Amino acid sequence: MTEAPRLQMTGIVKTFGPVRALNSVDFEVAPREVHGLLGGNGAGKTTLMNVLYGLYRADAGTIELDGAPVTVASPGDAIAARIGMVHQTFLQIEPYTVLENIVLGTKAARGERFDGPKARAEITELSERFGLEVDLDAVVEDLPVGVRQRVEILKALYRRSRVLILDEPTTNLAPQEVDALFASIRAMVDEDLSVILITHKIRETLGVCDRMTVMREGQRVATVTRAEATAESLAATMIGETPVTDPTDGEEVAAAVVATGLASADEVAAADAGAVSTAPVAVRVTGLRVDNDQRVEQLHGLDLELREGEVLGIAGVSGNGQVELAEAVSGVRPITGGSVRLGDRELAGAATSAWLGAGVVYVPEDRHRDGILPTSSITENLLLGSQRSTRVKSRGLIDWKAARQRAVDTISDFSIRANGPGALAGDLSGGNIQRVILARAFAHHPRFLVLHNPTRGLDLKSTEFVYEQVDAATREGACVLLLSEDLDEVITLSDRVAALYSGRLIGEWTRGQTDHYAIGRAMIGLEAQDV
Amino acid sequence: MSEVAAPPSTTTARVNRAAWYAGSVLAAFLVGGIVIVLLGLNPVVAFESVITTSFSTGFGFVETLHKWVPIVLCAYAFTIPLASGKFNIGAEGQLLVGATAGVALGITGSDLPPLLLVPAVLIAGVLGGAVWSGIAAFLMVRFGVNEILSTVLLNFVAFELIDYVASYVWPDRGAGHPATIPVGENAMLPGFGEPAVHAGVLITLLLSVAIGLAMRSTAAGFELRATGANPRAASVHGIRTSRLTAGGMLVGGAVAGLGGAIEVAGVHGNMLEGMQSNFLILGIIVGLMARGNAVAVPFVAFGIAVLEVGASAMQRSAQVPIEVVLIVEALILLFLMLSDVLRSKLGSRS
Repeated sequence: MTEAPRLQMTGIVKTFGPVRALNSVDFEVAPREVHGLLGGNGAGKTTLMNVLYGLYRADAGTIELDGAPVTVASPGDAIAARIGMVHQTFLQIEPYTVLENIVLGTKAARGERFDGPKARAEITELSERFGLEVDLDAVVEDLPVGVRQRVEILKALYRRSRVLILDEPTTNLAPQEVDALFASIRAMVDEDLSVILITHKIRETLGVCDRMTVMREGQRVATVTRAEATAESLAATMIGETPVTDPTDGEEVAAAVVATGLASADEVAAADAGAVSTAPVAVRVTGLRVDNDQRVEQLHGLDLELREGEVLGIAGVSGNGQVELAEAVSGVRPITGGSVRLGDRELAGAATSAWLGAGVVYVPEDRHRDGILPTSSITENLLLGSQRSTRVKSRGLIDWKAARQRAVDTISDFSIRANGPGALAGDLSGGNIQRVILARAFAHHPRFLVLHNPTRGLDLKSTEFVYEQVDAATREGACVLLLSEDLDEVITLSDRVAALYSGRLIGEWTRGQTDHYAIGRAMIGLEAQDV
Repeated sequence: MSEVAAPPSTTTARVNRAAWYAGSVLAAFLVGGIVIVLLGLNPVVAFESVITTSFSTGFGFVETLHKWVPIVLCAYAFTIPLASGKFNIGAEGQLLVGATAGVALGITGSDLPPLLLVPAVLIAGVLGGAVWSGIAAFLMVRFGVNEILSTVLLNFVAFELIDYVASYVWPDRGAGHPATIPVGENAMLPGFGEPAVHAGVLITLLLSVAIGLAMRSTAAGFELRATGANPRAASVHGIRTSRLTAGGMLVGGAVAGLGGAIEVAGVHGNMLEGMQSNFLILGIIVGLMARGNAVAVPFVAFGIAVLEVGASAMQRSAQVPIEVVLIVEALILLFLMLSDVLRSKLGSRS
């Protein structure tokens, strides 16, 4: 290669207390390249990019751009060096318009005033050139996630980035939106940008990246070109030498395979085409109407049924009523109309504690906000929800000694990595928090389990663990409503799948008859599917 | 704490915390001492009388216990709602309304036998305080009015209320400043020993044990703490958070109101302007020093009561103004907060 690399990071070290998050990492990106940065949770890929973007200061190492060394001590330095980053959570001022958000923080040249029409023309030109369609006068808070992402990308382009970092950009996108994003990325590299794609989805990486670097445990383990890479070899590199699952257990392998996005979930599902359940109906939801937090109706008379031991998967892009559906059928959000029956018991209108008492257990999407008491111990978190039950009490008072012993048992049964039952829930990692939440959920002996994005942000091992628990619950006769943005996950776990779009359930696919793209189209409202 | 479950690090963490705590107290006295030196006075004599007055004479000890009662009760008025994340800054208003209710019953029912009248006065105080914090609780739950504002403002309403009662309803014309006529002899709390300790001390002691147990081991106490830790998660798991926070405010006000009634029936024998002293601020200081822990509150409050009683002795013996003790109390709190910051800084570095 005669040309200097666009980006050269050498010997980057970053420690957090005793944890070595980055262990002398070298990372190189060529000009006009889409470079995938792969790895499981905690592999260090986001940390490395945060160092590049100036959010963390490296303990050692150098950064060069186009052959010239740069110091990046803050995001301001990064922007000045023409590095742009699109985070998973967008840093946008919601009541401002798209245009205002894009120009915010840019400076006019000395002696010049900010030229609104010029900026508008420039941004319009950028959005047309790269296929990033967006209404510049729309207010950001009214926009769906996919469009808000385009705003973030335009922000970086408007600041003339030559290196653009995208952190898990496809998490909240429907398959068609992913294709559009990848087309925009190709247009950018054609115009001399280099794009770094942080991801853990191997299939996507192979679709768009020229090269990929795999990280594991804070180290770079491999950099390969697309021609050399196969999905299997990448997955093996990502997971490490030791296989995480026993290959004789088909279902676990399927879960692991799907979690990495290795295989099309259709293949997995087809291998296991089950008969439609004839068990008695356990949950019957009819004419469900629910409002969002702004008192705007989000579900307009939704019907669904679950049979004992059955998993009903709800695919969909977030913001189509998922939160409202999950919270309404778990008794957390008031229902404005319709009925939710568990067996022959009507639960609509009852207090949340009554739902819980009837065996409706909710595993919320936002684990930190809705799932745990961050400043309380694991023992207390496990007790939450059963504090009035007689089985935790002795002589009318909570028996903390017994509760602590149960916490000790739970920590070992659920392989929670924590410093004993007194460890604060807020100090645990995402996967361990989810284990605490699931342990608590199963201690309630659920008859109806509502799972909302149960594996989001979890590493492979924890994801697998969640899948095993879902399996265990259905074997005991519980029915499960699974709402997930991860289509592969929905297809793998569900006996039946429906898409939720604009508060309506669209289509129904039974196990083995699922079609990735048909569901994808239903998810973004392209067709009213009836199969 | 069960030894089976406790990881070894908890004990070291606890020792560590105690060391920081002691360091903060020492640092506060050190700075207070420097202030006294700057005033040209002798800090050794001053602090000696601050710390020893409560223990050198029977009168000093009884006075300390009598001071301890309203401080503990005002501290609970602050910490019980605080457990659920709500700030009750209205303990003095609640105390005064409790005192008003107690004095009203003590005067009007003075013919009743003590066995009936004394409990009635105390219950009236409890209800008076609960009504006062109940107004704030209602506004908070029903209309989302910030409880800090409403409880603070209700203090001022309470000042005018007792001024009215002491000037127009049952005024004691000979007192020289707004005060009510004395409650009947039958309304007074019985005393024990010589010099006499009023029964309010015993009541407060029993109440402290009950509150400590309730906060730790009842479902309601757990729910209060869960709501304080994360109200969203608490409600997702079936806890009725608004009902609970309102309940916490009511109980807090009730406890402060009891304090008012005990002040009337145990110490003053009537109600007078200024009887709330600085119990509100001391209660908050104690609550914060105890870090909201119900079990720690009575112990911290005792320490503060010692300082408060010692303060006037210090003024007599060393001519140091009383305010220096309040400075020391405030400094203890500030150093404690500083130590939290330092500790987390040091912790992240090691």
